[in-house]
This record gives sequence, structure tokens and C-alpha cells, in this order.
Amino acid sequence: MWWKALLFIIMTAAIVAAFVTEAPQQQIGEASRIFYFHIPQAWISVLAFAMSMIYSIGYLRKRDILTDGRAADTAAIGLLVCILAAATGSIFAKVTWGSFWNWDPRESSIFLLLLIYGAYFALRGAVQDENRRATLSAVYSIFAFLTVPFLVFVLPRMVPSLHPSDSVVDENMKFVMGAEVWRILLTSLVGFSVLYLWMFNISGRIRKLSRARFEEI
Amino acid sequence: MDGNYVALSVAMVVWIGVFIFLMRLDGRVKKLERNQ
Repeated sequence: MWWKALLFIIMTAAIVAAFVTEAPQQQIGEASRIFYFHIPQAWISVLAFAMSMIYSIGYLRKRDILTDGRAADTAAIGLLVCILAAATGSIFAKVTWGSFWNWDPRESSIFLLLLIYGAYFALRGAVQDENRRATLSAVYSIFAFLTVPFLVFVLPRMVPSLHPSDSVVDENMKFVMGAEVWRILLTSLVGFSVLYLWMFNISGRIRKLSRARFEEI
Repeated sequence: MDGNYVALSVAMVVWIGVFIFLMRLDGRVKKLERNQ
């Protein structure tokens, strides 16, 4: 219970600090505050998709249907957070570039990522047999995650983009943020990470309960 | 102070809503686990 109270304090502190301190980038202005939420959302989606791959490998090794369910749970959270990252990025794009969607390399890569993980759930929905569904989606999830580093970190840096690329580190991988901005971002990252773990924990317990109920019937 | 208090209020409402939803869901799951 104590960690839930701590999570509440951390997230509240991050939100309040994000809006009452100076905007992180003075040239961009107020819209740059979205950075405190957009970056943690992007981070959580990568983490959640990585966890989905790990659970998928676990399923292929153990053939435990609950492990397959956990892979789907974390992919669902990842997809939800990825949609939020696209939405917050889109709001930023409207304010700074003039339109919500410009097919910038970053926007195109996140769109591809949403399609890839959307297809994962389409695949799960299309296969009736439980074990066959679990095997196919585990293999798909492993291959899907292989595209994530390329789409998130490599592709947007290969072609010219409007997306700010030096807001965290510069081209020499040195931190460019001020101490206050860094502290707020770190608080937000911790808050979002704990929130993700909590959601993942609840979904796992629901899955266990429904599995037990299914086996009773 | 160079704050944006409207955006802060909206973000706080959303966050408190998410937190209460998760707390209630967690409580319900706990209850079901006890009854199992």
C-alpha cells in the first residue's frame, strides 16, 4: 500500500513541477512542457513491448498459457501508451509545426509501430485454438520487437526530421538538459514506470482469476 | 513563476481519475482473490 501512496506523490509532484516551473525549451515555449510526459510514454511503450517479447520467449520455452497472456497484457499496455505518445507528439506538432500530422519520419515510425502491434492483436483475435494462437503470437511478438529499436532509435535519425533530436542528449551523447528539467523528467519517468508495473500486475491477477474460473467450468 | 495553471488542472483531474480507477480495480481484484 505504501508504494501506491508514494506513486501518487511522485506523479503529482511531476505534474505540478511540469506546469509551474519554466518551460524546458524557451524557444518552443509552453508546448515544450509536453516533453515531461511524451518521453516517459515513449519509454514505457518500448519497455512494455520488450517485456512482451520476453514473455513470448518464456511461452515458447515453457508452453504455459498464462505466460502467453502476460505477453498480450504488456503489449496491450504498450499499445495504449504508444497511442498516448503519438497523441502528445501530435499536439506538440500542431503547436510548433502547424498541423497535427506531417508524416515526419518520427510520426511515420510511430504509425508503423502502432500498425505492427495492432496487427499482433488482430492475429490473436483471428486464431481460435488457444495453443496455436499463443505460439503464432509469441513468434510474431519476437519479430515485432526486433523492429522497435530500428523504428524508434535508428530510422528517425537516418533522415532529416523536424522532431527535436537534441532535447535529452546532443550528437556527442552528452546531456543537454538543465538540472531542474532533468529532475522533473526523471521523476516523471519513475512515476510512469511504477504506474506501468501496477497496471501490469493488476492485469496479470485478472488473467489468473479468469483462467481459474475457466478451468472450473 | 511562469506556470500554465489550466493545463495543470486538467492534467491533475486526469491523473486523479486514473489513480482512483486503478485503486478501485485493484481493490475489486483483491476481493475476488480472497473469495476464490
